[in-house]
Order: sequence, then structure tokens, then C-alpha cells
Amino acid sequence: MTKPILITGTGVVSAIGCGKEQTLDALLNNRTGVGPLVYLKTEHKEFPVGEVKMSDYEMRKYLNINNDTITTRTALMGMIALDEALKEAKITSEMLPNVGFISGTTVGGMDMSEQFYLDYVNNDNHKEYIAVHDCGSCSEMTAKHFGKFAFITTLSTACSSAANAIILGANMIRRGEADIVVVGGSECITKFHLNGFNSLMILDTQWCRPFDATRAGLNLGEGAAYLVLESEESAKKRGVKAQAILSSYGNACDAFHQTASSPDGEGAFRAMKEALELADIQPDKIDYINAHGTGTPNNDLSESQAVKRLFGDNVPPMSSTKQFTGHTTSASGSIEAVFCILALQNGFLPVNLNWSQPMDDGIVPVHQAVKKELKHILCNAFGFGGNDSSLLISKDMRHETTRHETEGQESHVTGPEVSRPLFVLSAKQISVQQPLSEDWMTQPIEYQTPFNRSIDPSFKEYIPPIEARRMGKILKRAIATSKEAIKASGLESVDAIITGTGYGCIENTEFFLESLSKEGEQMLSPTYFMQSTHNTISSLVAIQTKNHGYNVTYAHKGISFDSALQDAVLQMRLGKINSALVGGHDELTPTFYQILKKGGMMGLDDEMCGESAVSVVLGSKSDNYLCKLVNFKMLHKPTMEQLKAVAADFKADHILTGISGNHKSDVAYLEECKELFSGAKLLKYKHLFGESFTSSGIGFYVAAQCLKAGRIPAHLFVNPQETIDNKPSNILIFNHSDGDNYSLTLLEA
Amino acid sequence: MDELIYTLKQQIIEALNLEDMKPEDIDENATLFGEGLGLDSIDALELIVMMEKNYGIKLQDPTQGKEIFKSVAVMADFIAKNRTK
Repeated sequence: MTKPILITGTGVVSAIGCGKEQTLDALLNNRTGVGPLVYLKTEHKEFPVGEVKMSDYEMRKYLNINNDTITTRTALMGMIALDEALKEAKITSEMLPNVGFISGTTVGGMDMSEQFYLDYVNNDNHKEYIAVHDCGSCSEMTAKHFGKFAFITTLSTACSSAANAIILGANMIRRGEADIVVVGGSECITKFHLNGFNSLMILDTQWCRPFDATRAGLNLGEGAAYLVLESEESAKKRGVKAQAILSSYGNACDAFHQTASSPDGEGAFRAMKEALELADIQPDKIDYINAHGTGTPNNDLSESQAVKRLFGDNVPPMSSTKQFTGHTTSASGSIEAVFCILALQNGFLPVNLNWSQPMDDGIVPVHQAVKKELKHILCNAFGFGGNDSSLLISKDMRHETTRHETEGQESHVTGPEVSRPLFVLSAKQISVQQPLSEDWMTQPIEYQTPFNRSIDPSFKEYIPPIEARRMGKILKRAIATSKEAIKASGLESVDAIITGTGYGCIENTEFFLESLSKEGEQMLSPTYFMQSTHNTISSLVAIQTKNHGYNVTYAHKGISFDSALQDAVLQMRLGKINSALVGGHDELTPTFYQILKKGGMMGLDDEMCGESAVSVVLGSKSDNYLCKLVNFKMLHKPTMEQLKAVAADFKADHILTGISGNHKSDVAYLEECKELFSGAKLLKYKHLFGESFTSSGIGFYVAAQCLKAGRIPAHLFVNPQETIDNKPSNILIFNHSDGDNYSLTLLEA
Repeated sequence: MDELIYTLKQQIIEALNLEDMKPEDIDENATLFGEGLGLDSIDALELIVMMEKNYGIKLQDPTQGKEIFKSVAVMADFIAKNRTK
């Protein structure tokens, strides 16, 4: 059985226009949107940029949003693109409860945080913007403008975020977990990353020249684009047409350096090769490659090498479109996917503008307008840390019957299969309890203070000092727990590294914001910037463990770890991977604790806040394991009826709750548990480990270790009278975040 | 010049977070990158920031760093000739 993924709607906004009509016109007429800076307030007027030609105020007007509503520029652009995509796919707000939304961003609400940071620290002004700093809030704000989606999550893999959102959505449809998923990304230009890229000295003061001998860096851009991915049955039922087919995709990690691509383009080569193999398509069938092509000396050389390795002397026509839009960072994967769809529909090759001299060892890009019928296009998006992805987008040729013509549109992965249990092979933590140990079972450390930092082990045996000296604590904890978890799993290596983090390396982000706010836009540290991207954690773990496999990062509030877990389970059930390292990592500094408390995000009532690093290894086969993972489900703003229907599949003797000392949320938790799981014994863990954005990872760890030990310590029971029972047979981890996002994870002994 | 070399070593240790090192541990004639201290391209960028902050020297092209950051002695010589503060 084949399951083509249809693209039934697209929407886009970038420097070359608002909507597909303007975009196509600009692409056909070689009209760039890159020019002098107008909207962003920065000292760096020397850098040309690709801004969307609307102020925030004009975007609000366009979207009919009043001035009292809290928004960020990234969310506003997202709404503009999402509106066009939903309309084209004929999706109304009534249908949204059956539609998923997966967005990619790294900047999130940084445009506001960089303006108000000193207020956040010093007074109560603008504190309403604190809650929209993170990536997940941005996706939810975008989605909320249209209605209530079935589920929402956020990918944050720097410049490949949107491409990875597309991959997740496609996998969910392949597996039959959704019929329609809207995927893509959004990112506005901020002072934060303009200065960050400047500190890395990769911005060109002239119009960028990808694949040119004289190229000297990139121009930043901004924008958003979303694609509606839909199963064939659903599109047929609704009577909507496919704009194009998402034939396949690949994701691999370069595992080379945090900010540079390897000289031989290993990650890019693997991602493109995987895309061709999944579609079972020969390289000579590719009619065009939309390159990542940023215009930095390093990227263009590395990408050229990767393409030459894969295509030999027959490199297909290839161009970068970053001269049109600037580098739209997290949104580039979906914006350029829309360009590819426009190229397929209108039969033309986008021109690699501003090119004149071939570079040494580089490809020669398309530098003159070419009209040509196109069938298969590869679209590349690569991110910092070597998070490389490639999408294969094809013309809809399902009506053409010969094998030759439909080649590339058949997936070798079949539909839903019977869910078999997956094994939790190992789980390791560093937190406010004794690190890398299960001492908390017998000798828990009790805290009276509302905010506590992790107890760190010596990191020397995990990371060579020369490499450790630039790493923030969160990175060291992630590497140490990852290495310990892989060792304890008995596996030599894992097939995938999937990480969740609510706020990423917040300490380095804080340093960078502080110097930007206090010292101004000069002489900022590249180290702080490069570590501020959320995917630094996952990519450093890949570098440290030399892992080129699937690698992504989720940054969606309290369900970041849960989202990572969902992806791992999905891919294991699709048979794409046999093992995965799933991480949940968040750190907290005294300053950010105060900021988040001020924003009402944590530390309310008697809540104890901590830091947590958890790494678990899942495997599909094992004779030595902690426990089995038998079921997993995520829900967005479910009704009680929906929760009840789902809870029926998650029957358990013990429920591990996330009660944390936040009175309002605890009451809701306990009432829901009573209604959903009557008779089950309730457990808690946050009184020992504290609240953090990825504490559900700690919950997973605690449940897995209890099942392995065959006992639940008395101090975990919500009701102390219930502690007689031993030898638990199963534990359900019931997590919810802000009352909006729920996850249920059923573990069995 | 000796004083500048010593100060420079302290500033390099601070800028590059070489926690376990003392100025005496750095041979001013040894190469900083590759085999010497094992520094990389991000360290070079941090050194560019450090030179601008402390000596008012602005490098426009990161590849210039290759020559200047050969060793502490070469760096000190460059700073002595080009410093604006």
C-alpha cells in the first residue's frame, strides 16, 4: 500500500511579497526583496536585509488584530502565511480540532525580550511579554488566531526548523496518526541574531552572492510559510486538489561543529541521499535543487561537495533563492518549499541572482531564466550544529499510470501497524537530587528554598576540558546524561538523537541579552550567541557521540520532552529507527527565575523550581530493560469527553502527576485524576525534583526507575496511607502544561 | 613588550575560558591554533572581540586573524603597532 503525502494548501510571506501571487511575480521577474534596513531598530545599518515590507502595526491591521492583544512579529508573520494556506486548502475553523499544527522557530518572542529585557530584570513594565518569549508560545499565538487545533508542537533546529516541522507532519500522516497537519515555520529578524551572526562574522555588507567566488557572507531575512499536508483519502473526501506531492525527506546530522559545516558536507550528503532512497528515486530524476546556499564561504563549499558526492558529474540545475529573500533562518525550509511548489506549477527554474564568477570546487548555479517542465525537486535546509534536512517535492502525477512516471511518489512505509511495546533501555538524570544516581529513592534531598540549582557531577570524564570550557552547564549535563544513558543501554550507538527543551541554553541567552542591553551592539561574544540556539544541546550530543543519525530539537513549553518522546515513538513504530536517545534539558539562572516568576510562568505559591537534565534510551528489542513503553498520546486543549475517551486506553494502577505546589494547577490536576482514573493511586515527584519546563522527562525517569526497582518509595505517594502496595505493574505519567497541553505515557514493568 | 605579553596572556585566558591555565603556562612563541593550545575558529572570533574591546583594533575580515593569532608574541607585536587605546 502506498501513502502519498499531498500538499493541499500553501501560504507564504517574505521580503518578496505577501502571498503567493506577489511571490511568484518576484521570482519570475528576478526582483529581490533585499535592501537597506527599514523596520528593525538597530545600529547596524551597514547590513542589507530581506525584511517583510510591513511594520508590526501594519501586520496587525492586515490581520484585524486590535492593539491590546499581545503579539510578536514572528507570530504575526506566521498568521499571515497560515491564513493563506488554510484558505487554499479550504480548512475552516470548525475543522481545526481535527487538524495538527507544527511550527518551526528559534527566535520566538525575542523581538520583544530584546527590547524589554532590562524592564524584565528591574521593574514590572512590559511583564506581559515575558510569557511569550519562548518558541512554543509563538506557535500557540499563531494558531489561536484561527481556532483550536488538535495538537501543536514546535521544532527548533535553527535554520532547518521549518523543514523538520514538515518531516514530523509527514511522518504523522504516514503513520495514520493524523489526516491533516499544517506544517512550516516563521521567523522575524531580531537585533539578537543580527548581532549574533555579526559576531560570527558571517554577514555580508553587500547583497549576498551564493556560490560566487567573491561571496562574503549572508544577508538576514525574515518571513513565514506553511504547507497543509494531507492524506490522499482525506483530500479525496473533502474534494481538494494537491498542489504538489511531498514524496520524501531526509534528516541527518553533520556532527562536525556548532557553527560550521564539514568540508565534505557529510550531513547534507546523508540527508539528500536518505530523501532519494525513501522515494526510491534515481539521482538523474531530480530536475532542480533549491540549495540552502546562504552565501557564506563555508556553507556553499560544503553544500557543493555534498551535491557532487551524490550526483557525480551530473549535478541537476541548482540555485539559491536567498538573494531574493535574505536568509529567513528558521522559516527558510518552508518558504523555499513554497518556492519549489511554485516552480513545479509554473515550470521555471528560480535564478541564482547576483552570480558572476564560479567558485573553486563549487557548483555552477542557474544564473539565467529557464522555462522547463519539472517533476522532482530537492529542497535543502541546513541548521547550526549540522541539523541538515532535505525535502523531495514532486509534481502530482498520480493520474499518470506508468511506473516510470509515478516513481518517487510511493512510500515504502506502510500505514498504521499494531502498536507493539517499545523498551526503555536506560534513563539517567542530573537534577537537584544526587546526580546520575537513584539515591532519591532511599535518601531524598529535601528543599525549603523555592529555587534550587542542579547538583553537578565532575564533568571531566565526559568532556575533554578544552571542549568543555565554552559549554554552559546545561550542555555539560546533557552530554553527561546522554553518554551514561547510551552506556547503560547496552547499545553501541543510537539511531536518533531527539531533544526537548523549553528555553534552551538560557544562561548564555541571558549573557547575550545583558550585554546587548547594557553595552550596546558592539563586540558581543560569538560563544554566547552560538549557544543560545535551542538545538545546540542535541547537536553537541551528536558531535560528542559522533552520531550522524536523525537529530531534532523540540521547544514547546512544558511538553518539549513529551514532543521529543512522541517523535521517537512515531519513528520507531514507522520502522525508520530501532533506537533513540530522548533528552529533556532545561537550566535556570537566578535572574531568569525572577523573570519567569514575574511573568507568572513558574514559582507560584509553594512551587519549588529546579533544573533538570534527563536522557533516556528507547529500543525496539531488548532482553535487559527498565520497563516497557506501551502507549503514548498528546492532546491540545482537550475537552473532558476527549480526555475520558483517551484515558480508557491508558488504564494504570498508579498515576504519576505533575503536582508542584502551584495551588490552582494542583487542584485541577487532582480533580481531573479523580474523574479520569478513579481507583488508581496518585504519585508525585516535583516536590523532590522541582518544576522545570522539561520536568516531565524527570517524571518519565522516576516512573521507569520505580518499575525497574519493583517498588515505589513512600515519599512519592500523594496520599501517604496508600504506600502498602509494592511491585507496581504499571505507571501512567499524566502531564499537563498550563492546562493547555496534555501528554499521557503508559509504562509497564 | 614583556608587560604587554603578560597582560595579553591573562586576557586570552579570560576571553577563551582557559580556566586551568596560568600566563606562565603559555609559551609566547608557540602556535595558538591547531597543535599549540588546540584553539578553533570560535576562539579566533573571541580574540577579535577581545582585541577590539581592550585595544580598539577592529578586524573586518576573519581570515586576517590567521596571521595575527600565530602566537602570543606575534599578536603582541601587532597590537603594539596598531592599538588605538
